[in-house]
Amino acid sequence: MMSLIDKLLERRARAAAQTASRRGMLKTLGGVLVGASTVPLLPVARAEGGAARPVEEGSDTDCDYWRYCAIDGFLCSCCGGSANTCPPGTEMSPVTWIGTCHNPADGRNYVISYNDCCGKSTCGACLCQRDEGDRPPYRPDKTNDINWCLGTASAAYHCSTAVVVGVAFEE
Amino acid sequence: MMLKKLLVSAVLAAAALSALAEDRPPPLPVEPTGIIETLPERYPPDWFLVHDVAFFHMSDGKIYVIDSSEETLGDQVKGLFNNSLMGAILQVPSRGEIMSVETFHTRGTRGDRIDVLTIWDTVTLSPVGEVMLPSGKRFMGMPERVVLQTLNEDKWLAIFNLSPSTSVSLVDLEKRELMGEIPTPGCSFIYPNGGMAFSSICADGRMLTVTLNDDGSERGRSFSDVFFDSDDSPVFERPALSGGIAYFPAFDATVHPVAMTGSAATPMAPWSLVGPDEATWAPAGIEIDGEDDLGRIYFLMNPEANGVDGMHNSGGAEIWVFDPDSRRRVLRIPLQEWGLSFAVGRGEEPKVLVTNPVDMSVELYDGLSGEFIRKITGFGQETPLFLWGAK
Repeated sequence: MMSLIDKLLERRARAAAQTASRRGMLKTLGGVLVGASTVPLLPVARAEGGAARPVEEGSDTDCDYWRYCAIDGFLCSCCGGSANTCPPGTEMSPVTWIGTCHNPADGRNYVISYNDCCGKSTCGACLCQRDEGDRPPYRPDKTNDINWCLGTASAAYHCSTAVVVGVAFEE
Repeated sequence: MMLKKLLVSAVLAAAALSALAEDRPPPLPVEPTGIIETLPERYPPDWFLVHDVAFFHMSDGKIYVIDSSEETLGDQVKGLFNNSLMGAILQVPSRGEIMSVETFHTRGTRGDRIDVLTIWDTVTLSPVGEVMLPSGKRFMGMPERVVLQTLNEDKWLAIFNLSPSTSVSLVDLEKRELMGEIPTPGCSFIYPNGGMAFSSICADGRMLTVTLNDDGSERGRSFSDVFFDSDDSPVFERPALSGGIAYFPAFDATVHPVAMTGSAATPMAPWSLVGPDEATWAPAGIEIDGEDDLGRIYFLMNPEANGVDGMHNSGGAEIWVFDPDSRRRVLRIPLQEWGLSFAVGRGEEPKVLVTNPVDMSVELYDGLSGEFIRKITGFGQETPLFLWGAK
């Protein structure tokens, strides 16, 4: 969703000023460390031995969650929805932009669709801005600087999801 | 006996009151009600428009008119007007009006959508006209300087649309009615390019220029050569403007000048904002550049953003000022804490107003010396993310 966010807050501004080098190091490592912090595991995170199941690690209410690598907005997981569902009574935007995020749990890159949920005023919780791969609005397919409540009944922005829509091509 | 005592007390009290009254100044005159303040037709050079987008309740955006030369809050705040749902504004001094594109729903966050151009009078800060716009088209996002642009000697207003298909709507400001719409597929925003043309920046790294007929219809269009790669070496869409040239900063601190002389936009040779020992610096923030009446151009610079994916919106620690002709940096303005957006005032002694995202105040700096002047805060602002030098 819109550009700005975290750094609008003191925490983010200070982080940008003081820990940029740390961010740079993380980027240099190809994002391998992103999301691999101390957050608890999702129910699907650890398959029970035997048959292989898709895995992902981390909390979807944490801005460091791997799917949010390019996000900019309020996390729907904190607003009554989840990483891939909208809160009750809202409407998911049918058009949006995409990013590519690395899932450290299986070593794959995934295409993530950042559909906004619309029709109510801003959720106000879990503001998160990561911006990786974000481009200015002259690249609508890769921008989070605009309100993506497009094609919806209401233009009111509520929160943002991060839906896995495919495995990215290997470079 | 009792009556006598009472009489004596009353006489003494009256005497005391009389003496007291004689020591006081005369009473205040009765004041009329219903007086409403007005503003000058031309705002002074140190006045700014502070766009608080109300990011946490977007239908309540406000634009404060601030006199940055004053020291007290009561003298700094001159008034405000509203702008709903992440709209765009443009002050047009020749018309004594401020254009404001905004969106409403008939039931607040639901109901029929209304996109409208609201025209505000700069003296009364009251709405004096409106033009209904095509529903669901106008650009809605972080504020930009390149969403609205006047053409044809300020008789027309061009409005950028992104739905996400892109186009430009034209409004006749004399008749206050919609003229038409010009598609700009693959290209975005509106850059001034003479009175009867506008340019747009394209995803394929070119500039589109559209020339117009007297009735606002399209006369022709042309594309420049490719001058950047939107994947690998993107430029910001927000140029500094000086001398008919748009200076587009890139994520990597290169500057791409593009000549805007009324015909096809022409990219010129790029140059770098940073020296050999400044390779980690890059422009970053929301409103990252500006220009002054002295012909100088300004950029908000982040000491760690160059080459770091995702840092391009994070703001900066300094503002760097350049002479675009010599390409030399003429001033560094170290910010008190951090900056996210800034605007430059008018005149020979320009002031620079900066949004400090740490406490969401705005801070004033001297554009000639770089010295910090004052912090302006407590005027009701919450997220003052975009600033304009008033005209």
